[in-house]
Formats: sequence, C-alpha cells, structure tokens
Amino acid sequence: MNVERVDFVSFLTQDIQRAKRFYTDVLGLPIESEGESDMELTCGQVTLDIFDPSSIGQSFSPSPAGLALRVSDVDASRAELEAKGVVFDGETIETGVCKQAWFKDPDGNALMLHRRFDA
Amino acid sequence: MIGVERVDYVRVPVTDIEEAKHFYGELLGLRLDPNSPHDDWVEYEAGNVTLAVMTPHTHDYEFEALPPATIALRVADVAAAKAKLEEAGLDVGELWDSGKCRGAGVSDPAGNRILLHHRYAPYPDGSSPR
Repeated sequence: MNVERVDFVSFLTQDIQRAKRFYTDVLGLPIESEGESDMELTCGQVTLDIFDPSSIGQSFSPSPAGLALRVSDVDASRAELEAKGVVFDGETIETGVCKQAWFKDPDGNALMLHRRFDA
Repeated sequence: MIGVERVDYVRVPVTDIEEAKHFYGELLGLRLDPNSPHDDWVEYEAGNVTLAVMTPHTHDYEFEALPPATIALRVADVAAAKAKLEEAGLDVGELWDSGKCRGAGVSDPAGNRILLHHRYAPYPDGSSPR
C-alpha cells in the first residue's frame, strides 16, 4: 500500500475555546477551519486537528505524541512562551544533534520546541 | 510569535521496536530514513512528516499509546488499503464515510490506533485536498 502523506495529526481537548486561545494566541498558529467542537490549524507542513471527543460521546486522553515544533531559536522561543505563562517540563535538553524544550498544552498534550543543529 | 516553521517529527511510542518496524516499514510501506539514528528510535517518512517510532522504556518514561486517530495517513483508496492489511492478518476497523472523507482504524502492535484516511470532498473554498 502507498501512504501518500499525513492528512492531519490530532490532539484531543476538553475545552475547545481554551485550546483555540493557546494555539492561536500563544503559539501563533493560523486557523484553517473551525467548528463548534473542532478546529484545524496550520502547523508548518502539517494540519493539526484539535477535537473535543465529548461531542461524539468519546473519552478524552492527552497525547504523548510530543509534536516537535521546529523554531529558529529554542531559547528565544522558550523565553517568549514562558513570558506568556507556559510552564516547561524541565530544562532545555541538548542531545548532541538537536535542542529540545518540552511543554504541554492546557489539556496535557505533549509538545516540544525543537531545532536540529544541522537544520 | 515564536514562528513555528514546521513539524520535525511526531513521536509514536511503541513497546517492541522490531514488531513496530514490521508494521510501519513492511505493512504500511513507509520509507525508513537512512539517517535514522538508533535502534530504539526509528524514523519513517510519511510523505510530509517524519514518524519517530520509539520505545519510551529506553527513554526514561512509561509507554502510553496515542489516543485513537492521532495520525491520519492518506491513502488513495481506504477500502483497498483495509483489504490489503487484512490480507496480511491485521484486524482493521469498519470503513466509515463522514460525507466528506472515508476512514478506517488499524492498530499497530503496541495498540496505537492509526487512521487510514481519504478526503474526497473539496474544501469550503472549493479547493481539493492537496
């Protein structure tokens, strides 16, 4: 079989308006489309779908996917997000090939600021 | 704003890396990144984004499966993809049609429920899925 691409990556939320504020106002992602219980955001080359599972009677669970968001300067971006109240999970990590700063959205979905040294 | 340039990868937690390599590499047919760095961190290219298939227990945290349909993989024909995976012995969920797209879920060996997906309806602005 031939997988052509990833159409979307999905995170669940328990509060769609809170998620909207976080992803648009704090992270600055543009909205592609939105409804009462879901929205799609442009996250670089990937569509990030945010969905309230209670709207179809399904349960919520936060994602450990650790979406790696490429930014030009992890330290500067971290400082900017911290100034907006985002709490990071520990210190920024240097792995030898990249720099990572882990944080979560208001629903507990795992994200990171990421930059490979050779990118 | 922090200026998100792109998604470098999506982490896919698994419990057995060899089983996962069979599923993502051989059954789904994703291309293994030749620069994939470690035995417990294997990167597959899924068109527009990298899936980092990795074992949490060797990265100091406990395994927890992704919520269902975290990753929607575009295929040309969901029914055909479902049939092919079923031929390989996988249990693929019922094919559904939302009126805009078709989908069917399939679990990887670790229990991550991956969505086989195809949108056939144009977007509200008239454009087709790119």
